[in-house]
Amino acid sequence: MSDLHWMTVGAAARAIAAKELSPVDLTKALLDRIEQLDPKLNAFIRVDGEAAMAAALAAETEAQSGRLRGPLHGVPVGIKDIIDVAGLPTTCHSKVRQDNMATADAVCVEKLRGAGAIVLGKLSTHEFAIGGPSFDLPWPPARNPWNTDHHPGGSSSGSGSGVAAGLFPMALGTDTGGSVRNPASCCGIVGLKPTYGLVSRRGVFPLSFTLDHVGPMTRTVADNALMLEAIAGHDPRDPGSAAAAQGHYGQALDRGIRGLRVGFVRHFHEIDTPADPEVTAALEHVARSLQVEGAEVRTITLPTLGEFGAVNRVILQSEAWSIHGPWLSERPGDYGKLGRQRLMAGAFMSAGDYMLASRRRLQMIAEVEAALREVDVLLCASSMDPACRIEDPAEVERTYPRQARTPFNVTGHPALAMMAGLSVGGLPLSVQFVGRYFDEATVFQVARAWERVAGTDKKHPPII
Amino acid sequence: MDKNTIEVLAHRAGLAKALAEFPDDVAISARQAADVAQKIKRPADPAAEPWPPMKAGTTL
Repeated sequence: MSDLHWMTVGAAARAIAAKELSPVDLTKALLDRIEQLDPKLNAFIRVDGEAAMAAALAAETEAQSGRLRGPLHGVPVGIKDIIDVAGLPTTCHSKVRQDNMATADAVCVEKLRGAGAIVLGKLSTHEFAIGGPSFDLPWPPARNPWNTDHHPGGSSSGSGSGVAAGLFPMALGTDTGGSVRNPASCCGIVGLKPTYGLVSRRGVFPLSFTLDHVGPMTRTVADNALMLEAIAGHDPRDPGSAAAAQGHYGQALDRGIRGLRVGFVRHFHEIDTPADPEVTAALEHVARSLQVEGAEVRTITLPTLGEFGAVNRVILQSEAWSIHGPWLSERPGDYGKLGRQRLMAGAFMSAGDYMLASRRRLQMIAEVEAALREVDVLLCASSMDPACRIEDPAEVERTYPRQARTPFNVTGHPALAMMAGLSVGGLPLSVQFVGRYFDEATVFQVARAWERVAGTDKKHPPII
Repeated sequence: MDKNTIEVLAHRAGLAKALAEFPDDVAISARQAADVAQKIKRPADPAAEPWPPMKAGTTL
């Protein structure tokens, strides 16, 4: 079997179940590819090859005797290094936590293993999932496989880079202000921020309690639905966990979108934060394509990106300060410069700021809910630009806030980012689909319709 | 936010060491925080509630 590294999660799982593919061969092929490519990409903080091969051997033995743990049996996965994997340090890509050994799996990792997945190792992130691409940390920042001079997005940088480069077919990321969807956008893969509370956060190092989400990152929409199905579910020990029943997220994937109502939030990229013309053209192309597929597309207005961003920042930085304050007081030099700057900002926000943002948040939720009574799904920009050069701090600073992801951390609605095309310079452009609470299935349905039309699942970085 | 205010707030927050070792970073953090809340519309209704609400008995 050739090109094992481009196999989808679904195809690999089916082949393993049919005894046509050995989990050992698949894992070995990916570990070889990691050895070959990761020195250029820095997607990993730690490769756990020995444990992965042992798990693959066990999975093979089980598969040969017809015992499958679940729908991901024998398929490798990468884990962002703010998520606990038993027996490995959860470093948060920071000197502050580099010796922090995890004694148990995070619930999302436990669920992946329960579904049969094989953990390959821990992946690069922005420091504590907030810093930015930094060169003053114990590990280098991940790079974009479409062009290694460019930023892969963050904060789930290694997850995005590694999935796009074929180092693994799926990864876990986390998203507090867009950190699953930013690398998905920059690297041309599929990244979902599920409904708030759908996936347990227990065992995930917190950034902002009321904004944090764990989400799946894959190369295809169907794989994303498959992965979500494995990690979703109520956790009575996560205070933010929702009691909603777990859905069958892939059930509507190939139903088409005839008759669905899509609300296009044009003002995000046309007025609030004017996008690069290539992004604007790509978004219009997506909207037209969905119309051709039978959807009704209408324009929708929401609060401005500037206000959504301000609410997100006040809440995020206030909550993050409550976590990092003691360490920033005692050992500020153990943080990288970007992480230190962003995390200390919460020290200068007042209780009044936090309450103002929290009160406005409820009104914003009501406004998005009202829009989603008029339409089934929202379509909007994700990133306003293709990925910038990673070693250009001014460009990183300029492009970082030019995005439309924070609104849905504020409101908690499910939001998926994926490729909308390629720029003239050969870098991915992106689009975002947003759905009603716990209606990830319809988000996937629309995303799959676009994927089928555009063939985004067949586009891989040419340099790899 | 002026320099004196930054220093007072930094000391109150326990950032004396950061202020001594990384004064520029402290100043940048303070500037990031200074005007962000001004971009948020103040709810006109005094009874407008925050999110998330207290919901007794629904979790843990």
